[in-house]
Amino acid sequence: MFKIFKPSPTSYQVKLAGSDTEFSVQRGESLLSSALSAGVQWPFKCKVGSCGTCKCQLLEGKIKPQLDFSYVLDGSEIQQGYILACQTMLKSDLLVSLNLDE
Amino acid sequence: MKFYVNARYLIVPTMSIIAILGILIGGAYAWVGVALFGLNTVIDTLTKDIHLPADFDDQGESYGTKAFQYGVMYFMLPVFIALQIALAYRIFQFTAATPLQVDLFYGIAYQSGINGINLIGAVLSSGLWAGLGIIYGHELSHNKKEGFLASRLIMALSGASHFTYAHVYNHHLDLGHEDDPATAPRGRNIYAHAWLSHMGQSRFSYNLEEGRLNKQGKSTLNADNRWILGYLYSLPSLVLFVWAGGLIGVAALFVVWVIANFLLEALNFMGHYGLIRTQGAVEHRHSWDNDSVFTSWFFIEIGRQCDHHVRGETYFWELDDVEGPNYGIGYFSLFVITLVPALFRRYVEKHLVNWDESYATDDELAVAAKFS
Repeated sequence: MFKIFKPSPTSYQVKLAGSDTEFSVQRGESLLSSALSAGVQWPFKCKVGSCGTCKCQLLEGKIKPQLDFSYVLDGSEIQQGYILACQTMLKSDLLVSLNLDE
Repeated sequence: MKFYVNARYLIVPTMSIIAILGILIGGAYAWVGVALFGLNTVIDTLTKDIHLPADFDDQGESYGTKAFQYGVMYFMLPVFIALQIALAYRIFQFTAATPLQVDLFYGIAYQSGINGINLIGAVLSSGLWAGLGIIYGHELSHNKKEGFLASRLIMALSGASHFTYAHVYNHHLDLGHEDDPATAPRGRNIYAHAWLSHMGQSRFSYNLEEGRLNKQGKSTLNADNRWILGYLYSLPSLVLFVWAGGLIGVAALFVVWVIANFLLEALNFMGHYGLIRTQGAVEHRHSWDNDSVFTSWFFIEIGRQCDHHVRGETYFWELDDVEGPNYGIGYFSLFVITLVPALFRRYVEKHLVNWDESYATDDELAVAAKFS
């Protein structure tokens, strides 16, 4: 009933599907910046949501997009759950799929 | 330290409010915004050799109060709205031929009515400070969702709401490449660039929307077309000035928008003139830094372009000197030079030669050769 007054967590956990990689994301930090801080070799180029290099597939969890992804990702990618890591804030722990070979 | 870091970024908010008060007090004070612009040019020139860091700790956390600095950016939206209302009020008085007389407002003397000369001062002051205020529209375009809307609204006050999308999706992606209208190629002067960059960014923004809507199976002529919506955001300004002064009001608003957009494009011009990128990620060498102390504080560190374009997600108070290409003078001083194209070409020549020798790749040099 008083869920609204519950303080939100200060950080969330992100796990990369198919690997042992796991890192935490502080509140207010983007998925990409936290991944890079944790030493993950996450591909990126512009960091402002315009190139699409940092895209990944959201398999589980909730996010808060900071920009409209539809300028960079096409309809089928969005339907499959692709997101731009540089413009993603977290609302829960996440499980994401990232192709590190790309 | 906290007060010092917070206070130094308040130059534009403070001076914008002084410019508004000048218009409201009237008489010769309507020119105060123009006078401040001149004063800033002098200060910027005199302090060109002073360079201070942005002041943050090892983790990149500002010594200032982030919430305060963030709040100031939003605060500027109502300030710029007030600037337009102040000018509209004076245009209304001018067209209504309100008699010139000194009145009191809570004990403060102001001139009711305005003559033609001082109205020109009020229009120029409004244009200059609306243009300088665009730095907040730029900064907010890189911030969170709500910041993006605030950016669009600030830019719409200057008829340039298309900027927000073009800046993020075009300028940051295509910087230094011919696909970026905001990057001025060698040999172009500031006047041509202002027009070409403005129109190019608007065209990009239109095409971006067309592509997005068509992907969704929607027509370009759609209520969800954000290029159209952006211009509709400017409609309240137009209605206000038509109401205030009919054709004179429209002419005044046009002058304000031309000055504001000219200053915006001047920043783009100074930030990347003549620099070339052929492929790969944007690097520090694809921007010019202008980080003299007054420019840094006045323009909320926007002059640290080299770092900004590599770390586009970074707040202005965390941008650093990365020892990239540097003009060695501030924006105000450089702006005066750009106004005389022949002088600017002479000034920039040695910097371009240094860039070619010290920063450019072979591919970039090959492109540069086409311009020489």
